[in-house]
Amino acid sequence: MIRTSICELLNIKYPIFQGGMAWIADGKLAGAVSAAGGLGIIAAMNAGTDYLREQINIARKITDKPFGVNIMLMSPHADEISDIVIEEKIPVVVTGAGNPAKYMKKWIGAGIKVIPVVASVALAKLVERAGACAVVAEGGESGGHVGDLTTMSLVPQVCDAVNVPVIAAGGIADGRGVCASLMLGAQGVQLGTRFLVAKECSVHQVYKDKIIKATDISTIVTGKRLGHPVRSLKTAFSKEYYKAEYSDISNDDLEAMAVGTLRLAAIEGDEKRGCFLAGQIAGMVDKEQSAAEIINEIFEEAEIVLNGAKNLIK
Amino acid sequence: MNLEKLAKIIAENVECDVESINEDTTFESLGIDSLATVELVMQLEEELGYELQLDEKLLTVGDLLKFIAKKQA
Repeated sequence: MIRTSICELLNIKYPIFQGGMAWIADGKLAGAVSAAGGLGIIAAMNAGTDYLREQINIARKITDKPFGVNIMLMSPHADEISDIVIEEKIPVVVTGAGNPAKYMKKWIGAGIKVIPVVASVALAKLVERAGACAVVAEGGESGGHVGDLTTMSLVPQVCDAVNVPVIAAGGIADGRGVCASLMLGAQGVQLGTRFLVAKECSVHQVYKDKIIKATDISTIVTGKRLGHPVRSLKTAFSKEYYKAEYSDISNDDLEAMAVGTLRLAAIEGDEKRGCFLAGQIAGMVDKEQSAAEIINEIFEEAEIVLNGAKNLIK
Repeated sequence: MNLEKLAKIIAENVECDVESINEDTTFESLGIDSLATVELVMQLEEELGYELQLDEKLLTVGDLLKFIAKKQA
C-alpha cells in the first residue's frame, strides 16, 4: 500500500487527486473519486453559486469522505464562490488560474486546507508563505490552461523550494507516472484526462471517445498570443483557432472565438465547434473504467513498479 | 523604492533599456507575464528586506510602485 503525508493531511486513502476540470468535474465524478479513496474535486469554473451548491449536494449524497472544490480565480464569480466554500464547510480548496493570496486568510481562518495549482517556483513559495498546506505543481503536459515548464522540470524544483507537500500533475495516467512523481519528490499526483473517461463522468460520450482514440501527438497548445495558453485535442476548432492566432485577427475577435467552446465539447459533444481539453497523456488512456477501477489499477501497478525498482541497483 | 531604482531592477531582469521604462509601461509590453511578475516581486522583497505578499493584479510599473508604497505604509 502506498501512503504519503498527503493521505494523513487530507484524510484520504490514496495520494491521488482528480483534476478540477471545468464543465467535466461535477459532483457525481468528485463523489465517485472520493468514495474510491482519492480526493474528488468539483470544478466551480465560471458558473454561479447555485451550480456549485447543487454539485456539493450531489457529491455528499454519494460519499461522506472528503472532497474538494476547484476555484478558478479568473471566474467572474470568484468572490461569491470564495464564501460558499466556507458556508458549505468544504475541507479542501484547490485554486487555479492565478494567485489566490487575497482569499487565503479567510479560507484558512475557516479551517479550509488550501492547495493552489502552481506553474512556477516563485508562485509556489508565495502561496506557501500565505498558508497553503500543499501545492499542485502542474506541468505543461496537462490539458486545459498550461504553463511552459514540464512536469519533469517543475516538480523537483518546486519540491526543493517549499516545505509543504507537492502534488505532481501533468502527464500522469498510470502507476509508472505515480512512481516517477514520487521519485521527483512529490507526495501525490493529480490526474485529469484519465478521470475524464471514468464511468461516473457525465461528459458527452463524443468527448470520451475522442480521448480514447487520441494518440501521443493528438494535442495542441493554442492561446499563447492572449497570454492564456490552453492544451486541447487537435480538432477542426483548435486547428482553425491556431491559424487565426497567427493571422491579423484582433485579440478581441480571437478571444470571442473561444467563448462557449468548452461547454460545446463537454455538454453537446460538438465535434466541429467544441474545444476538447486534454493532456498529452490522452494517448495512454484507452478505456472507460469506474473511478475505483482506475485508482486501484494505478496503485497496484505503482507498487509493482516501486518494488521492481530495487533490482536496478546492482 | 522610486521609479528610477525599480526601472533599473526591471531592466536588468528583462534585459531591456532602462530609459524605455516609465510608470505607464505595462508588464505585458516588457514580456513579463503573470508568473514572471510573481518572480519579480519575490526578487524585490530580497532587495527591500521585507515581504510584500503579492495579493493583487499588477498591470503596469506604476501599479507596482503604488503597491510597494502601500505595503511600506
